[in-house]
Amino acid sequence: MKLREKKNREGGIPTDSFSDIAFLLIIYFLVATTLVRVQAITSEMPSGDKAAQAQSEKTPIVNLRGGQIFFNDAPVTIEALEESLAALDLPARAPDKRVVMLESATGTPYDIYFEALAAISGNGGVVAMVKPEK
Amino acid sequence: MPKNRKLARRKKRRTVPVPTASMGDIAFLLIIFFLVCSETTQDAADIQVTLPTSARVEKAKPGAVARVAIDKDGQIYFNGGRVESAKDVELGISALVTRTVSEDQRHVQSRCDAGVTNDIFEPVLTAIAEGGGILSAIGTKKESTP
Repeated sequence: MKLREKKNREGGIPTDSFSDIAFLLIIYFLVATTLVRVQAITSEMPSGDKAAQAQSEKTPIVNLRGGQIFFNDAPVTIEALEESLAALDLPARAPDKRVVMLESATGTPYDIYFEALAAISGNGGVVAMVKPEK
Repeated sequence: MPKNRKLARRKKRRTVPVPTASMGDIAFLLIIFFLVCSETTQDAADIQVTLPTSARVEKAKPGAVARVAIDKDGQIYFNGGRVESAKDVELGISALVTRTVSEDQRHVQSRCDAGVTNDIFEPVLTAIAEGGGILSAIGTKKESTP
């Protein structure tokens, strides 16, 4: 019995449109992507124990009340706060001596708090948040 | 004038083939580049936040362990999902921080509306600290006046 010879079929994958598909994908990514340049301030805040330690010694304190900034109980502008903190030369101190307490009265908006936080962190301070007593 | 045209030497038309064989490869390499380099955000797109300003803000470090947001209504979001309280933020950060190996991986990006008051944002900031995260508070650069 003679076996039937199989026909050699040449199957090819059509790759002509691959580049078109790829470029369409690129265009999709470019159109759908939102490029956001995120800017932030970095601040390491000690947890409860360290904050308690900070209160035991005389540490600089920044108060925010009535829309005003107080540094060691004296009203200051944000520029004056920056100068006062720079004068402390916090980066030269030991890490546990860099703590600056930050206290805010009820109703303090975040934009003022953010500026104070940025000033402390920017001058090498470690922010210790003061919780209101209940 | 038509005579002059006839007299003019006929230029030979040369067909220059543009090599397009590698176009697909180039395009796919570009796609791979975009996929590798892009960082997808886990923030919910519809959170309405007016960012605070400061002259101190710098380019944020990439690769935050978590993202926290507080919108203008005081609602708290953790990695794009709404949470009930700051305690949920603390628990979430604690869980994620345990998987990290270096200090740089402990950054928690915080987006908070400029008008939100401290009774809302302070517990969240405390939760970030208690959870073991390093606060990376997002803001916009304040242009210095001349």
